[in-house]
Amino acid sequence: MLRLSNLSKYFGGVRAVDALELNVKTGEIFGLIGPNGSGKSTTVNLVCGIFGPTSGSIELDGVDLKRQAPHQRIDAGVSRTFQNIRLFDDLTVWQNLWVAWRDAPGQEHSWFSNWFGRSLSRRHEIQKLLEFSGLGDKSNNLAGNLAFGEQRRLELARAMASKPKLILLDEPAAGMSSAEVTDLRQRILTMKEMGITVLLIEHVMELVMNVSDRIGVLNFGTLIAEGLPEEIQNNPLVQKAYFGSSENTSGGDTNAIDQ
Amino acid sequence: MNIDHIDVIQALIDGILYGSTYALLGLGFTLIFGAMHKLNIAYAASSIAGAYVGLASISVMAIPPILVFFIGPLSAGAIGLVIYFACFRYMPTGNQLAPLMASIGALFFVDEIIIHETSGSPLSFPALLPDSYFFLGQFGIRGDLVMVMFFSFVLMGIVMFLLYRTKLGLATRATSQQSVAALLCGIPTHRTNATTFVLAGILGGFAGCLIAAAVGVLSPLITLPLTIKGLIVTVIGGLGSIRGAIIAGFLIGSFENIFLLVRGVNERDIYVFLLLFVFLVFRPNGLFGTAIDRD
Repeated sequence: MLRLSNLSKYFGGVRAVDALELNVKTGEIFGLIGPNGSGKSTTVNLVCGIFGPTSGSIELDGVDLKRQAPHQRIDAGVSRTFQNIRLFDDLTVWQNLWVAWRDAPGQEHSWFSNWFGRSLSRRHEIQKLLEFSGLGDKSNNLAGNLAFGEQRRLELARAMASKPKLILLDEPAAGMSSAEVTDLRQRILTMKEMGITVLLIEHVMELVMNVSDRIGVLNFGTLIAEGLPEEIQNNPLVQKAYFGSSENTSGGDTNAIDQ
Repeated sequence: MNIDHIDVIQALIDGILYGSTYALLGLGFTLIFGAMHKLNIAYAASSIAGAYVGLASISVMAIPPILVFFIGPLSAGAIGLVIYFACFRYMPTGNQLAPLMASIGALFFVDEIIIHETSGSPLSFPALLPDSYFFLGQFGIRGDLVMVMFFSFVLMGIVMFLLYRTKLGLATRATSQQSVAALLCGIPTHRTNATTFVLAGILGGFAGCLIAAAVGVLSPLITLPLTIKGLIVTVIGGLGSIRGAIIAGFLIGSFENIFLLVRGVNERDIYVFLLLFVFLVFRPNGLFGTAIDRD
């Protein structure tokens, strides 16, 4: 599905992403972890087109994304959320979803109806998204007035409004309580059931280890390990990247990796 | 000079009627500022230039004068697009000064073209409702100014509808609030900004035509005062505030006419400009200004 080959991004002399090889399969939840500054966010920004790569290729289902502008990659099927929430604060919850809305392939409305028509013809579908986000009763609230957890959920729903094939979640659990993380895990699994492939970047190990099908570990811009969650937990290279030594930290102590 | 309350109310009526054109100009300034978070100083000049193109077309093509109100705004929209590409689109986004200087340059460029083509002399402009003066009690009302206000309200209504009720408007507002997120929600932000410039240009072209129709002549001398008044309206309303710009437009129109009544036509603009400093000192965010932030 998503194939990054020999992907590099240099900022001056800093190699933020360095000859990265990554392959995310259709329908899976792929967790991408790594210490701060290991290139996770840069990777997401390269995939969605905020930066152009220094070299290498980005393919989605065999289509080269590199030549597409960021807003065209939405049509190609890539969508994302942000580490620091970026909602349209002065628009209502409903309008946040409507403005990001894309008609499903084959059901597109006319150009005129899309830009000047009302959202009523898609009301049923937008309502479903509202229910997914648990904000059904707040559709007329301004996004800026929502509570933190609600804003995170609205961002998830907004990312789904464009009917993506691949969603990039950039630290969706940052600042969440344990109960909210459990709730988020359920929503990510629902996305998977809907057939959406998920690339999850996260520091909260409780979430990554429990929800991911496979996990990749980045350090200094390259993939140092890839595998099932339990394999990653016991990988000495990973422990070295996080702790600076290969000392065994009794396997499943995920909270230690969390910090 | 003896001024009674009837004179004051009469001045206020005229001021509010005429102020609707300032409201339009302020709205245009605000739309552009909202989209780009940058001021387009050439905006009033391109609005007047649109009115000139309209005037030139009706005299060259010998078509009914009323069509000036269609050709003028459309031309101003086209000029707005040119200014977007010349002064904003390719300027580095982090550099606030570059587009500002470029648009000041565009203001004088457009102004000089008008002066060159008209030899600097004023041209008469078709009125909306000639010789329609009526009385409402003790107060005289100019029918053409009522028309000016009517059309201003219709235009404001259309703009508000577009901004708040259509996806096009929501996309514009989303771009202004979070441009990166808007881009990654599939909104083509450059195209949205270009659309805003065209829309604001059309609005300004209407304002230019309405002002010229109210005054009766079109002269290159009005571009600079209009630029300043448009900016004052925008600042007093609160940079980026749409309803602020509309209310401030009427406010400036009223104050202008009160100053005209009290101090005469030669001193009028001095006090209007003074009003800007009063606001900048005591209420720098304007009437409805919000703290401006954007990453």
